[in-house]
Amino acid sequence: MPERVIVLVEDNENDAELTLRAFRKSKFVNRVVVLRDGVEALDYFFTRGTHADRSPEEIAQVVLLDLKLPKIDGLDVLRALRADERTRLIPVVVLTSSAEDQDMARSYALGANSYVRKPVDFNHFVEAVRQLGLYWLVINQTAPV
Amino acid sequence: MDDDGRLLVQRLRDGLRLVSTVAQAFAETTSDYRRLLDTIAQHIAQAIPDACIVMLRSDDTLTLVAIHDISPDGDARVGDLVNRTIPLREAGLSSSVLARGPLFMPRIDFDALQRSLTPAAIDQLKAGGATGLLVVPLATRGELIGVLWVVRRGTQRPPLDEIDLEIVQDLANHAALAVSNSRLFTQLERSEQLRTLEDRAVQASSLLDAIVENIPDMVFVKDADKLAFVRLNRAGEQLIGVSRAELIGKTDFDLFPTSEAEFFVAKDRETLASGALVEITEEPIHTTGGMRWLHTKKVPLFDHAGKPQYLLGISHDVTDRKQVIGELSAAKLAAEAANRELESFSYSVAHDLRTPLRAIDGFSQALSEDYGDRLDAEGLRYLTRVREGAQRMAELIDDLLTLSRVTRSELRRDRVDLTALAHTLLGALQRLEPDRQVEIVIAPGIVADADLQLAAIALDNLIGNAWKFTSKRSNARIEVGVTAASGVPAYFVRDNGAGFDMAYRDKLFGVFQRLHPESDYPGTGIGLATVARIAHRHRGRTWADGKLGEGATFYFTLTEPHA
Repeated sequence: MPERVIVLVEDNENDAELTLRAFRKSKFVNRVVVLRDGVEALDYFFTRGTHADRSPEEIAQVVLLDLKLPKIDGLDVLRALRADERTRLIPVVVLTSSAEDQDMARSYALGANSYVRKPVDFNHFVEAVRQLGLYWLVINQTAPV
Repeated sequence: MDDDGRLLVQRLRDGLRLVSTVAQAFAETTSDYRRLLDTIAQHIAQAIPDACIVMLRSDDTLTLVAIHDISPDGDARVGDLVNRTIPLREAGLSSSVLARGPLFMPRIDFDALQRSLTPAAIDQLKAGGATGLLVVPLATRGELIGVLWVVRRGTQRPPLDEIDLEIVQDLANHAALAVSNSRLFTQLERSEQLRTLEDRAVQASSLLDAIVENIPDMVFVKDADKLAFVRLNRAGEQLIGVSRAELIGKTDFDLFPTSEAEFFVAKDRETLASGALVEITEEPIHTTGGMRWLHTKKVPLFDHAGKPQYLLGISHDVTDRKQVIGELSAAKLAAEAANRELESFSYSVAHDLRTPLRAIDGFSQALSEDYGDRLDAEGLRYLTRVREGAQRMAELIDDLLTLSRVTRSELRRDRVDLTALAHTLLGALQRLEPDRQVEIVIAPGIVADADLQLAAIALDNLIGNAWKFTSKRSNARIEVGVTAASGVPAYFVRDNGAGFDMAYRDKLFGVFQRLHPESDYPGTGIGLATVARIAHRHRGRTWADGKLGEGATFYFTLTEPHA
C-alpha cells in the first residue's frame, strides 16, 4: 500500500517548523517529509545517498520547494526532477520569500506547477498552506505513476 | 606767273591739302595706328602716285601693314600683301640704307640700286615698271620702327621731286611718332591692367592665406608626387609641435614613427587614387607634446588637366573628446556593475530579511495560541505588538523593493488606459471595505504613453493614499483626471481627505517622509517617493496642492515638458 506524503524542501528550521504547524492546524493527515538542502532532496527522489533505503512505497503527492537552498538550489532541483522519467510528473509548488519576476518566470519555465510567496503574517501563511494542501492533496488528481 | 610757277603753286597746294587731310587722321587716331597708317598710305598714293607701302618692324621682321597702288593694274599688285611678315634682312633693304636716311631716286638707276636693295626687290620693282623710288624710314627716338615706300611707275608723270620727298618725310616722321605714342599708350594701359590684376591677385591670395592660417584645425598640403609637405597652418604647427620651416619639404617618414607614417601615406595614396574625400575618424599621431588623436579629412587638389597635383588635409584634434567618451563609458560600466550589485542586494533583502520576520510573527502567534492561557491580557497585547512590528517591517521591505525595482527596471512605453486602471484599483479598494461610502469620479478616456507596470504602481500609490486619507471623512470624494501643465498632460488624483500643509510640500516626495502620524494613517512613507521616481523615469515630474483638513491633489506627468 503506497503512502502519499508531502515533501517539504526547506533549509530554514523556523520556516520548516512553521510550515509543519500550518499543516497541522489545517488538519491534513499526510506525513510531511522535510529535506534540508538540494542534495538531500535529489537523494530522496532518486532513492540514493542518505535516502538510499527509503521505502519505495512512499509517493510524493506534492513537493513544496524553496528556491534558496544550500549546495544545490531549488531551480536546479526542479530541473533535475523534470529531466527524469521517474519524477517529471510530481506536482511541484515553489514556496519562497522571493517575489522577483525572474524567479517566478524561471520556475514556471522549468515546469513548476505553482508559485507561492510565503507571507510574513502567520495567519496568511496558514491560509496559504491550507489552500495549497486542499488543492494538491484533495482536489487535484495526480497523474498516475 | 609762268607755267612752271603755276605748277609749283599747284604742287604746294596739293601738298598742303595732303598734310591737312592726314593731320585730321592723326587727330582722330588714338590707339588704332594701323588704320592711321592705312589712311596715310592711301592719301600719299593719291597725292604722290603711284604706290605707297608701309611696313612696321618688330624685332627682326617687317610686316606690311598698308599698301595702296593707284596705277591701272594696282589692285592686282596689292593682292593679299597686307599682314605679310618677312624677316628684316629679306625685306629688300640692306640695313645700312635706312640708317643713312631716306633712299631717294627720282629716276631709278637699277645698277646703282643694287648697292641698296636685294636682287629680289629690284626684280619686283622692274616687273612693276617702277621708274622712281622713295624709301623713308619710320623712326622715333633713334629707333627704326618701320619703312614707308613710294613707287612711281611709268613715265607719264613727272619724276618725284624734292617737294615730294619733304612731304613724305614729314608725314613719315609724324606717323612714326604716332605709332610710337600709340604703342607706348597701349603698353602703359596693359601694364596698368596687369598691375590691377596683380593687386587683386595679391589681395585674394592674402585673404586665402589669412583664412588658412587662422582655421583652428590643422590644415596641411602635400605634393601629390612625393607627399612632401608644402604647406602647414598655425594650428598644425601647434598641434604637431614642429614649425613649418622644419616641416616643409619633408615627408611623414621624416617626422613620425614608421608605422604611423605608413598609415598616413596609405590614406594619402587612397585619396589621390580615388580622387575623392577620404575621412579617417580616428587616427593616432605622435607629436612633440605626446600622443594625440585626430579626425582627418583628405581631398585631392587637381591641376588644369584634372590630374591630382596636391593633397589637402584638415585634421581636428579629438583627443579630449575621445578621453571624455572613454571616461563616460567607464562610468557607464561602473554604474551598470553597481546596478547589478544593487539587484542582488535587493534579492537578498527580499529573501533574507523576510525569513526571520516570518519566524517572529509565526512563533508569536504560536505562543499566543499554545500558551495564551498562561498569559494575561497585557502579555497577549505585547505579543500582538510584536507581530504588528514584524508585519510592518515586511511592508517596509516590500515597498523598498518596489522602489528599487522602479529605478532599475527597463522602461517600456506603451498605450496605457489610466481610466481603466483607476476603475480597477478603486474597485478593489471598495471590495476590501464595502462599508465605506466614497464618491468616485474618474474622467473617461485618460490614456498615457507609459510603462504599464510603472504607471500602475504610481496610480496604485496615489489612489491608495486618497482612499486612506479620506477614511475619516463621511462625504469622501476621490477624483482621477487629467489636465495640462507645460504643454503636456498632467494626470492627477484629488481627494477631500486629511490634506496637508503646503509649507511641507517639498517633503512629500522624499523617502520615509510622513506628514501624518502613523497611528492616524498607516503607511511606510515610501509610496510618494516611488511615484516621483516613476515620473522621473518617464522624464516627467510630480507636484501637489493641498490644504490641511480639506484635501489634496497629486499630479504627475509621464513625458518631457515642452520647451
